[in-house]
Amino acid sequence: MNSSEVAGLWQSRFGIPEKAFAGYRFFRKAQSVWMISGSELPDLSYEALGMRIMNLKDRPWKPTTCALQILGKHATKNLVHLNDSQAMIFLEGKSLPIESNLEPGYVVVLYREEVLGCGLYSHGIVISQLPKERRTTSCS
Amino acid sequence: MERYRDIVPDFEAFKAVLHRPLFNCCRINTLKMERAKLLERLDEKGVGWKIFDWYPFGLKLDVESPGKLLENLLGYIHIQEELSMVPPLLLDPQPGEVVLDLCASPGSKTTQISQMMNNRGLVIANEPSLARLTPLRSNCERLGVLNVAITRYDGRNFPRGSFDRVLVDAPCSSEGRERRGPGILARSNRKRSLDLQKLQIGLLKNATRLAKPKGVVIYSTCTYAPEENELVVEKVLDDARLERISIPGLKDCPGITEWNGETMRDDLSNCARYYPHINDTGGFFVAKLIKN
Ligand SMILES: C[S@@+](CC[C@H](N)C(=O)[O-])C[C@H]1O[C@@H](n2cnc3c(N)ncnc32)[C@H](O)[C@@H]1O
Repeated sequence: MNSSEVAGLWQSRFGIPEKAFAGYRFFRKAQSVWMISGSELPDLSYEALGMRIMNLKDRPWKPTTCALQILGKHATKNLVHLNDSQAMIFLEGKSLPIESNLEPGYVVVLYREEVLGCGLYSHGIVISQLPKERRTTSCS
Repeated sequence: MERYRDIVPDFEAFKAVLHRPLFNCCRINTLKMERAKLLERLDEKGVGWKIFDWYPFGLKLDVESPGKLLENLLGYIHIQEELSMVPPLLLDPQPGEVVLDLCASPGSKTTQISQMMNNRGLVIANEPSLARLTPLRSNCERLGVLNVAITRYDGRNFPRGSFDRVLVDAPCSSEGRERRGPGILARSNRKRSLDLQKLQIGLLKNATRLAKPKGVVIYSTCTYAPEENELVVEKVLDDARLERISIPGLKDCPGITEWNGETMRDDLSNCARYYPHINDTGGFFVAKLIKN
Protein backbone atom coordinates (compact mmCIF):
# COMPACT_ATOMS: atom_id res chain seq x y z
CA MET A 1 0.00 0.00 0.00
CA ASN A 2 1.27 3.48 -0.65
CA SER A 3 1.47 6.25 1.88
CA SER A 4 -1.44 8.30 0.54
CA GLU A 5 -3.86 5.35 0.55
CA VAL A 6 -3.06 4.70 4.20
CA ALA A 7 -3.10 8.39 5.10
CA GLY A 8 -6.48 8.78 3.36
CA LEU A 9 -8.13 6.26 5.68
CA TRP A 10 -6.71 7.84 8.84
CA GLN A 11 -7.54 11.31 7.56
CA SER A 12 -11.19 10.51 6.96
CA ARG A 13 -11.81 8.71 10.27
CA PHE A 14 -9.57 10.73 12.64
CA GLY A 15 -8.62 13.90 10.74
CA ILE A 16 -4.93 13.01 11.00
CA PRO A 17 -3.01 15.09 8.41
CA GLU A 18 -1.20 13.28 5.61
CA LYS A 19 2.14 14.71 6.71
CA ALA A 20 2.09 12.52 9.83
CA PHE A 21 2.75 9.63 7.42
CA ALA A 22 5.51 11.30 5.39
CA GLY A 23 8.89 9.57 5.41
CA TYR A 24 7.46 6.14 6.23
CA ARG A 25 6.82 3.06 4.14
CA PHE A 26 3.81 0.76 4.33
CA PHE A 27 3.46 -2.95 3.75
CA ARG A 28 0.37 -5.03 3.60
CA LYS A 29 0.54 -8.65 4.75
CA ALA A 30 -2.72 -10.61 4.80
CA GLN A 31 -5.19 -8.14 6.35
CA SER A 32 -2.64 -6.10 8.33
CA VAL A 33 -0.78 -2.94 7.40
CA TRP A 34 2.72 -2.28 8.74
CA MET A 35 4.52 1.06 8.99
CA ILE A 36 8.32 1.48 9.02
CA SER A 37 10.78 4.35 8.67
CA GLY A 38 11.63 5.12 5.07
CA SER A 39 15.15 3.65 4.86
CA GLU A 40 16.07 1.21 2.12
CA LEU A 41 15.57 -2.35 3.38
CA PRO A 42 18.56 -4.66 2.84
CA ASP A 43 17.83 -7.87 0.98
CA LEU A 44 17.03 -10.21 3.91
CA SER A 45 14.25 -12.49 4.99
CA TYR A 46 12.09 -10.54 7.48
CA GLU A 47 9.79 -11.66 10.31
CA ALA A 48 8.32 -8.22 10.89
CA LEU A 49 8.66 -4.74 9.41
CA GLY A 50 8.10 -1.86 11.80
CA MET A 51 4.77 -1.52 13.58
CA ARG A 52 1.43 -3.14 12.79
CA ILE A 53 -0.85 -0.10 12.57
CA MET A 54 -4.21 -1.36 11.28
CA ASN A 55 -6.33 -4.35 10.44
CA LEU A 56 -8.44 -4.27 7.28
CA LYS A 57 -10.29 -7.51 7.90
CA ASP A 58 -13.46 -6.05 9.35
CA ARG A 59 -15.58 -3.06 8.33
CA PRO A 60 -14.73 -0.53 9.50
CA TRP A 61 -10.95 -1.07 9.54
CA LYS A 62 -9.42 -1.16 13.00
CA PRO A 63 -6.41 0.89 14.19
CA THR A 64 -4.02 -0.77 16.67
CA THR A 65 -3.58 0.77 20.08
CA CYS A 66 0.17 1.09 19.62
CA ALA A 67 -0.34 3.05 16.38
CA LEU A 68 -2.93 5.34 17.97
CA GLN A 69 -0.53 6.06 20.83
CA ILE A 70 1.90 7.47 18.23
CA LEU A 71 -0.43 8.90 15.55
CA GLY A 72 -3.45 9.72 17.72
CA LYS A 73 -1.91 12.94 18.99
CA HIS A 74 -2.53 14.43 15.52
CA ALA A 75 -6.20 13.37 15.51
CA THR A 76 -8.89 16.04 15.32
CA LYS A 77 -12.09 13.98 15.30
CA ASN A 78 -13.66 10.89 16.83
CA LEU A 79 -11.87 11.61 20.07
CA VAL A 80 -13.13 10.69 23.52
CA HIS A 81 -11.72 12.52 26.54
CA LEU A 82 -12.00 10.65 29.85
CA ASN A 83 -12.00 11.87 33.43
CA ASP A 84 -10.03 10.19 36.23
CA SER A 85 -12.50 7.46 37.10
CA GLN A 86 -13.39 6.74 33.47
CA ALA A 87 -9.71 6.40 32.58
CA MET A 88 -9.25 3.79 35.32
CA ILE A 89 -12.12 1.74 33.91
CA PHE A 90 -10.87 2.04 30.34
CA LEU A 91 -7.37 0.96 31.37
CA GLU A 92 -8.81 -2.14 33.00
CA GLY A 93 -10.17 -3.08 29.58
CA LYS A 94 -13.83 -2.53 30.42
CA SER A 95 -16.74 -0.70 28.78
CA LEU A 96 -17.85 2.83 29.64
CA PRO A 97 -21.09 4.70 29.15
CA ILE A 98 -20.26 7.97 27.33
CA GLU A 99 -22.72 10.65 26.37
CA SER A 100 -21.79 11.94 22.97
CA ASN A 101 -22.88 12.30 19.38
CA LEU A 102 -19.84 10.56 17.90
CA GLU A 103 -20.14 8.52 14.72
CA PRO A 104 -20.20 4.83 15.67
CA GLY A 105 -16.84 3.11 15.13
CA TYR A 106 -13.29 3.22 16.45
CA VAL A 107 -12.26 6.24 18.51
CA VAL A 108 -9.09 7.73 19.99
CA VAL A 109 -9.35 7.58 23.77
CA LEU A 110 -7.50 10.33 25.64
CA TYR A 111 -6.86 11.22 29.24
CA ARG A 112 -5.17 14.50 30.22
CA GLU A 113 -4.22 15.13 26.58
CA GLU A 114 -2.43 11.78 26.33
CA VAL A 115 -3.62 8.94 24.10
CA LEU A 116 -4.51 5.84 26.11
CA GLY A 117 -5.49 3.75 23.10
CA CYS A 118 -8.30 2.55 20.91
CA GLY A 119 -11.97 2.31 21.85
CA LEU A 120 -15.04 1.09 19.99
CA TYR A 121 -18.01 3.46 20.24
CA SER A 122 -21.63 2.67 19.61
CA HIS A 123 -24.96 3.51 21.25
CA GLY A 124 -23.49 5.55 24.08
CA ILE A 125 -20.86 2.97 25.06
CA VAL A 126 -17.08 2.95 24.57
CA ILE A 127 -15.59 -0.54 24.67
CA SER A 128 -11.89 -0.63 25.52
CA GLN A 129 -9.77 -2.26 22.81
CA LEU A 130 -6.59 -2.31 24.88
CA PRO A 131 -4.64 -5.54 24.34
CA LYS A 132 -4.73 -7.75 27.45
CA GLU A 133 -1.09 -7.29 28.33
CA ARG A 134 -1.48 -3.49 28.34
CA ARG A 135 -4.34 -3.41 30.84
CA THR A 136 -4.10 -2.56 34.49
CA THR A 137 -5.55 -4.98 36.99
CA SER A 138 -8.41 -3.57 39.00
CA CYS A 139 -7.45 -2.75 42.56
CA SER A 140 -10.87 -3.22 44.15
CA MET B 1 33.50 -18.05 41.81
CA GLU B 2 36.78 -18.49 43.72
CA ARG B 3 38.54 -18.57 40.37
CA TYR B 4 37.89 -14.83 40.09
CA ARG B 5 39.68 -13.98 43.37
CA ASP B 6 42.74 -12.68 41.51
CA ILE B 7 40.96 -10.58 38.93
CA VAL B 8 38.20 -8.90 40.96
CA PRO B 9 39.47 -5.96 43.02
CA ASP B 10 38.53 -6.18 46.74
CA PHE B 11 37.12 -9.69 46.41
CA GLU B 12 35.58 -9.71 49.91
CA ALA B 13 33.51 -6.60 49.17
CA PHE B 14 32.46 -8.22 45.87
CA LYS B 15 31.24 -11.34 47.68
CA ALA B 16 29.43 -9.31 50.30
CA VAL B 17 27.46 -7.16 47.85
CA LEU B 18 26.09 -10.20 46.01
CA HIS B 19 23.64 -10.81 48.86
CA ARG B 20 22.14 -7.37 48.54
CA PRO B 21 19.28 -7.06 46.03
CA LEU B 22 19.50 -4.52 43.23
CA PHE B 23 17.49 -1.36 42.66
CA ASN B 24 14.79 -1.53 40.05
CA CYS B 25 15.80 0.61 37.11
CA CYS B 26 14.13 1.98 34.04
CA ARG B 27 14.87 3.99 30.94
CA ILE B 28 12.75 6.96 29.94
CA ASN B 29 11.39 6.32 26.45
CA THR B 30 11.73 9.66 24.72
CA LEU B 31 9.96 8.28 21.64
CA LYS B 32 6.74 8.69 23.64
CA MET B 33 7.37 10.96 26.59
CA GLU B 34 9.54 13.93 27.43
CA ARG B 35 11.94 13.38 30.27
CA ALA B 36 10.80 16.35 32.37
CA LYS B 37 7.14 15.39 32.03
CA LEU B 38 7.84 11.80 33.04
CA LEU B 39 9.71 12.89 36.16
CA GLU B 40 6.79 15.16 37.05
CA ARG B 41 4.37 12.24 36.71
CA LEU B 42 6.48 10.08 39.02
CA ASP B 43 6.58 12.89 41.57
CA GLU B 44 2.80 13.28 41.42
CA LYS B 45 2.41 9.57 42.13
CA GLY B 46 4.93 9.66 44.94
CA VAL B 47 7.30 7.24 43.19
CA GLY B 48 10.87 7.97 44.29
CA TRP B 49 13.53 8.18 41.56
CA LYS B 50 17.19 8.97 41.10
CA ILE B 51 18.82 9.69 37.75
CA PHE B 52 21.98 7.69 37.00
CA ASP B 53 25.21 9.65 37.44
CA TRP B 54 26.26 8.66 33.93
CA TYR B 55 23.10 8.63 31.79
CA PRO B 56 20.28 11.19 31.87
CA PHE B 57 17.60 8.76 30.64
CA GLY B 58 18.28 6.05 33.22
CA LEU B 59 16.51 6.07 36.59
CA LYS B 60 16.65 4.06 39.79
CA LEU B 61 13.07 3.64 40.98
CA ASP B 62 11.90 3.29 44.54
CA VAL B 63 8.90 1.07 43.83
CA GLU B 64 8.25 -2.64 44.26
CA SER B 65 6.64 -3.64 40.96
CA PRO B 66 7.76 -1.08 38.39
CA GLY B 67 6.29 -3.26 35.62
CA LYS B 68 2.81 -2.45 36.90
CA LEU B 69 3.25 1.31 36.67
CA LEU B 70 0.88 2.88 34.15
CA GLU B 71 3.91 4.67 32.72
CA ASN B 72 5.30 1.25 31.83
CA LEU B 73 2.07 -0.09 30.32
CA LEU B 74 1.81 3.02 28.15
CA GLY B 75 5.43 2.71 27.04
CA TYR B 76 6.71 5.90 28.64
CA ILE B 77 9.36 3.90 30.48
CA HIS B 78 11.05 0.55 29.94
CA ILE B 79 12.23 -1.57 32.86
CA GLN B 80 15.90 -2.21 32.16
CA GLU B 81 19.00 -3.02 34.20
CA GLU B 82 21.33 -0.08 34.74
CA LEU B 83 24.34 -1.55 32.94
CA SER B 84 22.19 -2.87 30.09
CA MET B 85 22.01 0.76 28.97
CA VAL B 86 25.80 0.90 28.47
CA PRO B 87 26.21 -0.94 25.13
CA PRO B 88 23.81 1.30 23.13
CA LEU B 89 25.49 4.38 24.59
CA LEU B 90 28.89 3.10 23.36
CA LEU B 91 27.41 2.00 20.04
CA ASP B 92 26.36 5.65 19.60
CA PRO B 93 23.92 5.12 16.71
CA GLN B 94 22.96 8.19 14.66
CA PRO B 95 19.59 9.00 13.07
CA GLY B 96 19.56 7.71 9.51
CA GLU B 97 22.17 4.97 9.97
CA VAL B 98 21.68 1.25 9.42
CA VAL B 99 22.37 -0.73 12.59
CA LEU B 100 22.36 -4.47 13.32
CA ASP B 101 21.44 -5.87 16.74
CA LEU B 102 22.52 -9.48 16.29
CA CYS B 103 21.09 -11.00 19.53
CA ALA B 104 18.09 -8.81 20.14
CA SER B 105 15.34 -10.28 22.34
CA PRO B 106 13.66 -8.99 24.50
CA GLY B 107 14.74 -5.78 22.83
CA SER B 108 15.83 -3.57 25.72
CA LYS B 109 18.86 -2.47 23.74
CA THR B 110 17.08 -2.55 20.37
CA THR B 111 14.51 -0.06 21.61
CA GLN B 112 17.15 2.10 23.26
CA ILE B 113 19.03 2.22 19.95
CA SER B 114 15.79 3.13 18.17
CA GLN B 115 15.21 5.94 20.67
CA MET B 116 18.75 7.26 20.15
CA MET B 117 18.06 7.31 16.39
CA ASN B 118 14.81 9.14 16.97
CA ASN B 119 12.86 6.48 15.06
CA ARG B 120 14.79 7.26 11.84
CA GLY B 121 17.16 5.10 9.85
CA LEU B 122 16.92 1.36 10.32
CA VAL B 123 17.65 -1.13 13.07
CA ILE B 124 17.69 -4.80 12.14
CA ALA B 125 16.80 -6.74 15.29
CA ASN B 126 17.86 -10.36 14.85
CA GLU B 127 16.67 -13.13 17.15
CA PRO B 128 16.70 -16.83 16.21
CA SER B 129 14.53 -18.11 19.05
CA LEU B 130 10.88 -18.32 18.02
CA ALA B 131 9.68 -18.15 21.63
CA ARG B 132 11.68 -14.98 22.19
CA LEU B 133 10.25 -13.16 19.18
CA THR B 134 7.02 -12.39 21.06
CA PRO B 135 8.58 -10.28 23.83
CA LEU B 136 10.77 -8.54 21.25
CA ARG B 137 7.77 -7.56 19.14
CA SER B 138 5.68 -6.63 22.12
CA ASN B 139 8.35 -4.30 23.53
CA CYS B 140 8.84 -2.62 20.16
CA GLU B 141 5.09 -2.00 19.89
CA ARG B 142 4.64 -0.77 23.43
CA LEU B 143 7.56 1.63 23.11
CA GLY B 144 6.33 3.09 19.82
CA VAL B 145 9.27 1.96 17.71
CA LEU B 146 8.94 2.55 13.95
CA ASN B 147 12.44 1.90 12.63
CA VAL B 148 12.97 -1.74 13.59
CA ALA B 149 12.73 -4.73 11.27
CA ILE B 150 13.00 -8.20 12.78
CA THR B 151 14.92 -11.13 11.29
CA ARG B 152 15.39 -14.67 12.55
CA TYR B 153 18.83 -15.94 11.57
CA ASP B 154 21.36 -17.82 13.60
CA GLY B 155 23.65 -14.84 14.21
CA ARG B 156 26.66 -16.87 13.08
CA ASN B 157 25.06 -17.21 9.65
CA PHE B 158 23.38 -13.83 9.30
CA PRO B 159 23.96 -13.60 5.56
CA ARG B 160 24.92 -10.14 4.41
CA GLY B 161 25.02 -6.41 4.96
CA SER B 162 27.30 -3.44 5.38
CA PHE B 163 26.21 -1.94 8.68
CA ASP B 164 27.29 1.35 10.20
CA ARG B 165 27.18 -0.27 13.64
CA VAL B 166 26.69 -3.78 14.98
CA LEU B 167 25.81 -4.84 18.53
CA VAL B 168 26.57 -8.35 19.78
CA ASP B 169 24.90 -8.67 23.18
CA ALA B 170 25.84 -12.31 23.37
CA PRO B 171 24.15 -15.23 25.11
CA CYS B 172 26.36 -15.87 28.16
CA SER B 173 26.54 -17.54 31.57
CA SER B 174 24.93 -14.44 33.17
CA GLU B 175 27.10 -14.46 36.28
CA GLY B 176 26.59 -10.71 36.57
CA ARG B 177 22.89 -11.31 37.30
CA GLU B 178 23.60 -12.99 40.64
CA ARG B 179 21.89 -10.16 42.57
CA ARG B 180 18.67 -10.85 40.62
CA GLY B 181 18.83 -14.66 40.74
CA PRO B 182 21.01 -15.99 43.58
CA GLY B 183 22.80 -19.23 42.73
CA ILE B 184 23.90 -18.38 39.20
CA LEU B 185 27.54 -17.94 40.20
CA ALA B 186 27.57 -21.19 42.16
CA ARG B 187 26.34 -23.14 39.12
CA SER B 188 28.73 -21.46 36.70
CA ASN B 189 31.94 -23.18 35.65
CA ARG B 190 34.78 -23.04 33.15
CA LYS B 191 33.48 -25.92 31.06
CA ARG B 192 30.13 -24.19 30.49
CA SER B 193 31.92 -20.95 29.60
CA LEU B 194 34.08 -22.76 27.07
CA ASP B 195 30.97 -24.17 25.40
CA LEU B 196 29.43 -20.70 25.17
CA GLN B 197 32.73 -19.33 23.90
CA LYS B 198 32.43 -21.23 20.61
CA LEU B 199 29.06 -19.62 19.92
CA GLN B 200 30.26 -16.20 21.05
CA ILE B 201 33.33 -16.30 18.78
CA GLY B 202 31.11 -17.31 15.85
CA LEU B 203 28.77 -14.41 16.56
CA LEU B 204 31.50 -11.80 16.98
CA LYS B 205 33.39 -12.94 13.88
CA ASN B 206 30.28 -12.67 11.76
CA ALA B 207 29.37 -9.30 13.30
CA THR B 208 32.80 -7.96 12.39
CA ARG B 209 32.40 -9.24 8.84
CA LEU B 210 28.99 -7.51 8.58
CA ALA B 211 30.23 -4.09 9.72
CA LYS B 212 31.37 -1.70 7.04
CA PRO B 213 35.03 -0.55 7.03
CA LYS B 214 35.58 1.79 10.05
CA GLY B 215 32.20 0.62 11.38
CA VAL B 216 31.66 0.12 15.12
CA VAL B 217 31.15 -3.31 16.70
CA ILE B 218 30.15 -3.57 20.37
CA TYR B 219 30.53 -6.90 22.13
CA SER B 220 28.88 -7.24 25.54
CA THR B 221 28.00 -9.91 28.11
CA CYS B 222 26.71 -9.89 31.67
CA THR B 223 29.36 -12.30 32.89
CA TYR B 224 32.82 -12.24 34.48
CA ALA B 225 34.30 -15.32 32.79
CA PRO B 226 37.34 -14.27 30.73
CA GLU B 227 36.62 -17.28 28.48
CA GLU B 228 33.44 -15.48 27.36
CA ASN B 229 34.92 -12.00 27.29
CA GLU B 230 38.55 -11.06 26.54
CA LEU B 231 39.25 -14.51 25.09
CA VAL B 232 36.40 -13.98 22.60
CA VAL B 233 37.34 -10.43 21.66
CA GLU B 234 40.94 -11.53 21.11
CA LYS B 235 39.82 -13.61 18.13
CA VAL B 236 38.82 -10.64 15.95
CA LEU B 237 41.74 -8.33 16.62
CA ASP B 238 43.23 -9.00 13.19
CA ASP B 239 40.19 -7.35 11.61
CA ALA B 240 39.41 -4.61 14.12
CA ARG B 241 41.05 -2.52 16.82
CA LEU B 242 39.87 -1.92 20.37
CA GLU B 243 38.93 1.55 21.48
CA ARG B 244 39.40 2.48 25.14
CA ILE B 245 36.10 2.76 27.02
CA SER B 246 35.42 5.41 29.57
CA ILE B 247 32.02 6.71 30.65
CA PRO B 248 32.07 9.74 32.93
CA GLY B 249 30.24 8.91 36.17
CA LEU B 250 30.57 5.11 35.85
CA LYS B 251 33.70 3.40 37.19
CA ASP B 252 35.11 0.55 35.12
CA CYS B 253 38.04 -1.82 35.55
CA PRO B 254 40.32 -2.55 32.59
CA GLY B 255 39.97 -5.78 30.64
CA ILE B 256 42.36 -8.46 31.89
CA THR B 257 45.53 -9.42 30.00
CA GLU B 258 46.56 -12.44 32.01
CA TRP B 259 44.48 -15.49 32.85
CA ASN B 260 45.21 -19.04 33.99
CA GLY B 261 48.91 -18.28 33.87
CA GLU B 262 48.79 -17.16 30.27
CA THR B 263 49.49 -13.67 28.99
CA MET B 264 47.17 -12.10 26.45
CA ARG B 265 47.46 -9.04 24.23
CA ASP B 266 47.99 -5.72 26.03
CA ASP B 267 45.27 -3.90 24.13
CA LEU B 268 42.61 -6.11 25.73
CA SER B 269 42.90 -3.77 28.69
CA ASN B 270 40.84 -1.34 26.57
CA CYS B 271 37.77 -3.47 27.32
CA ALA B 272 35.68 -2.49 30.33
CA ARG B 273 34.65 -4.71 33.25
CA TYR B 274 31.96 -3.54 35.66
CA TYR B 275 31.72 -5.12 39.10
CA PRO B 276 28.69 -4.98 41.40
CA HIS B 277 30.45 -3.59 44.47
CA ILE B 278 32.00 -0.68 42.61
CA ASN B 279 28.93 1.11 41.21
CA ASP B 280 26.28 -0.84 43.17
CA THR B 281 24.99 -2.52 39.99
CA GLY B 282 25.04 -5.95 38.39
CA GLY B 283 28.17 -7.25 36.63
CA PHE B 284 28.97 -6.52 33.00
CA PHE B 285 31.63 -6.67 30.28
CA VAL B 286 31.87 -4.59 27.14
CA ALA B 287 34.33 -4.09 24.27
CA LYS B 288 34.25 -1.43 21.58
CA LEU B 289 35.81 -2.46 18.27
CA ILE B 290 36.46 -0.37 15.17
CA LYS B 291 36.68 -2.45 12.03
CA ASN B 292 39.78 -1.91 9.89
C1 LIG C 1 21.74 -11.54 26.42
S1 LIG C 1 20.34 -11.95 25.45
C2 LIG C 1 20.01 -10.47 24.56
C3 LIG C 1 19.35 -9.36 25.35
C4 LIG C 1 18.93 -8.20 24.48
N1 LIG C 1 20.06 -7.70 23.70
C5 LIG C 1 18.33 -7.06 25.27
O1 LIG C 1 19.03 -6.10 25.58
O2 LIG C 1 17.12 -7.09 25.56
C6 LIG C 1 21.00 -13.02 24.22
C7 LIG C 1 20.05 -13.41 23.12
O3 LIG C 1 20.77 -14.11 22.10
C8 LIG C 1 19.93 -15.06 21.55
N2 LIG C 1 20.72 -16.09 20.84
C9 LIG C 1 21.02 -17.34 21.22
N3 LIG C 1 21.71 -17.99 20.26
C10 LIG C 1 21.89 -17.10 19.25
C11 LIG C 1 22.48 -17.18 17.96
N4 LIG C 1 23.08 -18.29 17.54
N5 LIG C 1 22.42 -16.08 17.16
C12 LIG C 1 21.83 -14.95 17.59
N6 LIG C 1 21.23 -14.83 18.79
C13 LIG C 1 21.26 -15.89 19.61
C14 LIG C 1 19.15 -15.59 22.73
O4 LIG C 1 17.94 -16.22 22.30
C15 LIG C 1 18.91 -14.34 23.55
O5 LIG C 1 17.68 -13.75 23.22
